[in-house]
Amino acid sequence: MKVTTGLLTLFLAWCTLSSSAKDYRVDDFGAVPDGVTLNTRTIQYAVDLIHAEGGGRLIFPLGRYVSGTIHLRSNVTLHLEDGAILLGSTNPYDYDRMPGFNTAFLLAKDQENIGLTGEGTIDCRGRAVAYNLVEQIHKGVVKDALRLDRPVEGSRPMIIYFRSCRNVKVEGIQLHNSGSWVQTYDQCVGLTIDRIRVESNAYWNNDGLDVVDCENVTVTNSFFNAADDAICLKSHDANFMCKNVLIRNNVARSGASGIKFGTASNGGFKDIRILNNKVYDTYRSAITIASVDGGQIENVIVDTLRAINTGNIIYLRIGDRQNHGKKPMLKNVTIQNLYAQVPATKPDKGYDYEGPIEDLPRNISPSSIIGLPDYPIENITLRNVEIVYPGAGNEYYANVGLTPADLDSIPEMRKSYPEFSQFKELPAWGMYIRHARGITFENVTMKALEPDYRPAIVTDDVKGLRLTNTRMIEPEADGKEQVFFYKTDDVTLQ
Amino acid sequence: MNKLKLIALALVSVCTLSLSAQVTYKASYFGVKSDGSTLNTRSIQKAIDHISEQGGGTLEFYVGRYLTGTLNLKSNVTIQLHEGAVLVGVTSPYDYFAAGDTKAIICAEGQENIAVTGKGVIQGQGTLLQGKVQTQIDKGNLKESLAQASPALISLKNCTNVKIEGINLQNPCGNVMVYSDCKDVTLNNLAVTSRQTANSQGVLFSGCTGFTMTDCYFDTTGTALVSGGNSTGVTISGCKTPDGKQLKAKK
Repeated sequence: MKVTTGLLTLFLAWCTLSSSAKDYRVDDFGAVPDGVTLNTRTIQYAVDLIHAEGGGRLIFPLGRYVSGTIHLRSNVTLHLEDGAILLGSTNPYDYDRMPGFNTAFLLAKDQENIGLTGEGTIDCRGRAVAYNLVEQIHKGVVKDALRLDRPVEGSRPMIIYFRSCRNVKVEGIQLHNSGSWVQTYDQCVGLTIDRIRVESNAYWNNDGLDVVDCENVTVTNSFFNAADDAICLKSHDANFMCKNVLIRNNVARSGASGIKFGTASNGGFKDIRILNNKVYDTYRSAITIASVDGGQIENVIVDTLRAINTGNIIYLRIGDRQNHGKKPMLKNVTIQNLYAQVPATKPDKGYDYEGPIEDLPRNISPSSIIGLPDYPIENITLRNVEIVYPGAGNEYYANVGLTPADLDSIPEMRKSYPEFSQFKELPAWGMYIRHARGITFENVTMKALEPDYRPAIVTDDVKGLRLTNTRMIEPEADGKEQVFFYKTDDVTLQ
Repeated sequence: MNKLKLIALALVSVCTLSLSAQVTYKASYFGVKSDGSTLNTRSIQKAIDHISEQGGGTLEFYVGRYLTGTLNLKSNVTIQLHEGAVLVGVTSPYDYFAAGDTKAIICAEGQENIAVTGKGVIQGQGTLLQGKVQTQIDKGNLKESLAQASPALISLKNCTNVKIEGINLQNPCGNVMVYSDCKDVTLNNLAVTSRQTANSQGVLFSGCTGFTMTDCYFDTTGTALVSGGNSTGVTISGCKTPDGKQLKAKK
């Protein structure tokens, strides 16, 4: 009886929803798709009216619609037909800032059932907006310290910032040229991103996607080409976390990391599946998982990942920039069916806003798993992994040897920003593991194309290490000891 | 080095400017465009807000057409329209908002020491705008009456020490000027032409204390001067309509 009532309620709810979902055309409100007319108020009026009338889709037919910030309302979907381009105004003053939060082309807070669909494009023209903002800052009209000679992130528009929304769908569209992060979903529940294409090397901090403290998220069948981290999970609030996230069938290119957890990692990340993705032409790591703000990270599976022309492959890190009274945690991570190639040259060469050259001198950095003495990384499995490195590490360019003095000289850097290169030279060419418990390698191959002065693998303060069918291949290295254990107990070699 | 010197010089001059009483700012300083097609609403608004926050001053518009939607004038800000400068109301109905009950290009509520001066023009594009307003009403999108949705050129409510001087006010969609509950309003030497839309009234004022209008010309389709009553200290002199009749405040 209860089940029947429940079903009936659901059915009625569905009827109500479907009957009220109506299509409206933006040209009916007088929007002019000439690429010049600023349509902000007209589009906003249409969104508000659709919301007031119970919801529906606002259809954008072919054309170029210039606008400033639009605030999405519950039950409203912007549907961009093929050839429709929603163009961001190049005037920074045409963008609204959500008090206490960010500025974005499309803003929503506390709304539900909102969407962006269709085959059209949203182009924020972020570079022009940023340049115009810089001009206003130099004149003193806008106050900004211009740290790193760029306006602070929060005053440059993202394309999408949705906060505390439920049931968000972003499907089919293209997102181009943000002024900051491309799209941020913050404390949202129920987020579906499918078949989107992100092209954004327009300005600094162009993350392709930021999922912040969200639950029940799927990111599928999408393409990301972004100047900063391409697919990024973040946790800004120590009382929230990213939970139940599926990232599947995506291709990512980045001037930073391809897939990244962090840097902001205050609450944490739990139950994350990253399946069948590709990363290419990426400056930093194919996958970075960082807990540096007290975040709890557990139950992560990365299965079937291909990383080509990528500067670093795996970077797992616990740091302690802040911890809100919690113990930072990173455990139960499986990375399997991974094939990766690291180039000898800069992998993101030629893209706008290339990743910064830093932490030199340094030979090609290994993948690494680096916890802290008091917060080790736990229970990590690498299975069916092949990573091809250029090798050619030259000890006269940069050198960290295998003596206790050398290995102990590697700093802990517990307060530092986590990047694979932060420790500068590391003593292995393939994998460096420090402060870890329960590390398993099954069928792992590390290949160096040129001789390298370092061994393939160095472990330091590791308890419980199982290496099964692990192969190290390096030219002119007959008899070279490729695995070096330091302060490492409970080792199983099979 | 040269650049540093330039920056230092610029800083010094900015400091000097801020110390003087009447700071003037050119509209282009805020990225405002005179091309007639860039919708400048938010840039001009930023300029007004900035000048008001800095303690006041004059925002100067030189020759050119400056497209805009509703602007909220703030305390201690003067908009100066130099000869040839035209503040043009955009023809999209949804770019207008109201101060009190009346939508307008220039609105203000609860501000003091505000002015619009110069020999320039404020143009409402009344015919075009009202056509679009009517379309949106007919489609059911705009749920206001035609009168409510037709913006005036100037609408001020509860403002103190207001000066509108010298400018040409042309072809609003609705009425030309509305003043309610204001104190010490001076209108001087204005040329008002409103012949594009029906029953466009020249100036409506009510509840004002100290309302002086001198040497103005009104060519309007509606009544030139409408006093809503309850105003005190009203002086009207030297104001004429096309037939040469002198305007008088009704008692």
